[in-house]
Amino acid sequence: MQLDPKKSKRIAGTLGLLTASLLAGVGATAQSSDEPITTKPAPVSQAPQGTNEFDDDTYTDEGLIRIDGAVLVYQEDGGRVRAIEPVVGVTYNFEDDSSLSLKLTADILTGASPYGATPWQNTQTLVDPPSTGSSGSSSNTSSTTDVPPDVLPLAQGFNDQRYAVDASYTSPWGEDSTVSINAGLSKETDYKSFYGGIGYSREFNQKNTTFSASANVEYDISSPRGGHPRPLAVAGSRYDNDDDHKTVIGGLIGFSQVMNRHWLAQLNYNVSTSSGYQSDPYRVISVVDSVTGGPVRYLNESRPDSRLRQSVYFGNKVAIGSTVSDISARAYHDDWGINSVTLNLDTRVPVTNRFYLKPGVRYYSQSAADFFNYYLIDGEAVPEFTSPDSRLDKFSAVTASLMAGYKTSKTGEVYARVSRYEPSAKTSTANAPGYLAGRDLFSGTASTSVIVGYTYAFK
Amino acid sequence: MKTEKHSPRSTTPALKTIMVVSLVFVSSAFMTGCASVGVDPWDRDIMAKREMKPVTHPLVASVDDHIYFSKEASTGGKSSSGGGCGCN
Repeated sequence: MQLDPKKSKRIAGTLGLLTASLLAGVGATAQSSDEPITTKPAPVSQAPQGTNEFDDDTYTDEGLIRIDGAVLVYQEDGGRVRAIEPVVGVTYNFEDDSSLSLKLTADILTGASPYGATPWQNTQTLVDPPSTGSSGSSSNTSSTTDVPPDVLPLAQGFNDQRYAVDASYTSPWGEDSTVSINAGLSKETDYKSFYGGIGYSREFNQKNTTFSASANVEYDISSPRGGHPRPLAVAGSRYDNDDDHKTVIGGLIGFSQVMNRHWLAQLNYNVSTSSGYQSDPYRVISVVDSVTGGPVRYLNESRPDSRLRQSVYFGNKVAIGSTVSDISARAYHDDWGINSVTLNLDTRVPVTNRFYLKPGVRYYSQSAADFFNYYLIDGEAVPEFTSPDSRLDKFSAVTASLMAGYKTSKTGEVYARVSRYEPSAKTSTANAPGYLAGRDLFSGTASTSVIVGYTYAFK
Repeated sequence: MKTEKHSPRSTTPALKTIMVVSLVFVSSAFMTGCASVGVDPWDRDIMAKREMKPVTHPLVASVDDHIYFSKEASTGGKSSSGGGCGCN
């Protein structure tokens, strides 16, 4: 499915109108009460008399153990990256409202990914990323690949596995507060990540308002096969043998508010700062001839070693009749020069008391990083930072999805969702030299993902 | 070099729109008095539904975060928890 910019604008406009109309409704249902209330309904161990157990959708997991399992299959168009990702989780919900969760994730990645080089009318020869060797070993025997004319150069045979473990504990603290702590680690052949966080939330205003704050830290170790390519050196020529590190520190504050009987709103501000190695060790950038656009040489990319990200998230849950919609918007800015907007709408529509459908659409648009370049021109000064990564390019993307869920019991559900992601390049190449002029140089790709899962809670 | 220098102005209006909408929300919900919004305990029937939880399917949400992190520059907003993959 290819959505053109006009359609994308219409989707964005519709979402904007929906949000605005919801805001206009604030106060229409103004109420106040001094009565103490509880946010959570009392646990319901049995369905109300005279109703089917599947009609009870207000039970809590208090005192129950919940298991979750899902498998994601992700495939990029053009035979690029394929990921198969099984995830399992278990949550112990204790009688005192505290809970302990554990999640295991595996990620099997195969396929082809862009070198970063631009296409050319003749065969071009690129140095492959080292495919063997371990952290710290220098590789001077890299193989090369002949890339056919007129295609985006792709490194074939990409193969990696990722394993992650996550644990979290949440507990009530005093009358109205909750505290939580989480920790995890993720390991790939050439990358390790250790992370953790703490969170606090407090309900007030008769529990119609919740304030939350959290902080997280992350420490990553990058050990690319064959060592780290030296930034801006000719590709395949220079490697540094040390591991490189990245540290991320983040914080979030937010409010959620019961606006009226049908509408729950949430507003968050999120900031994070990362410092350390943030380049892609397997990506190069073409230096091209200023007249023909043909490749002269390839340099390792180079990114700044610090990044400050900020975002504002506005989420809403709105019940209209028997449907529940999730309507959200996010504005994002970072000091690499990227601004983005994300709009999301999905609606859960019950078909029977056991079966529901949830269609969804997401719109995303970002500007390019200040140092993003498709290519460099031979003879011109090489900038301190440069990257051709599509994630730093100017583009928009639309995701369309359809989810279906079926209650297998009161506390059990099997579900499946199909999603299609379609990006559209926004950077003009009209003034590019020679062969590259007017050519689509965007290296992002459309993808399809399918996730199938099962969740069940028991005593 | 990149042929057309990007101008951040192209997305700034949308950024501002969301900021304004957020501010309207903040001012209406919080600054004018939180007691004017919200519900009484006996009106919490809909809020109590499981599908009204901010995240109904945590595994789907985490998989989505991972996919979008690998394709787009933006991350965060809904939660601050991270957990890096090497796909930067």
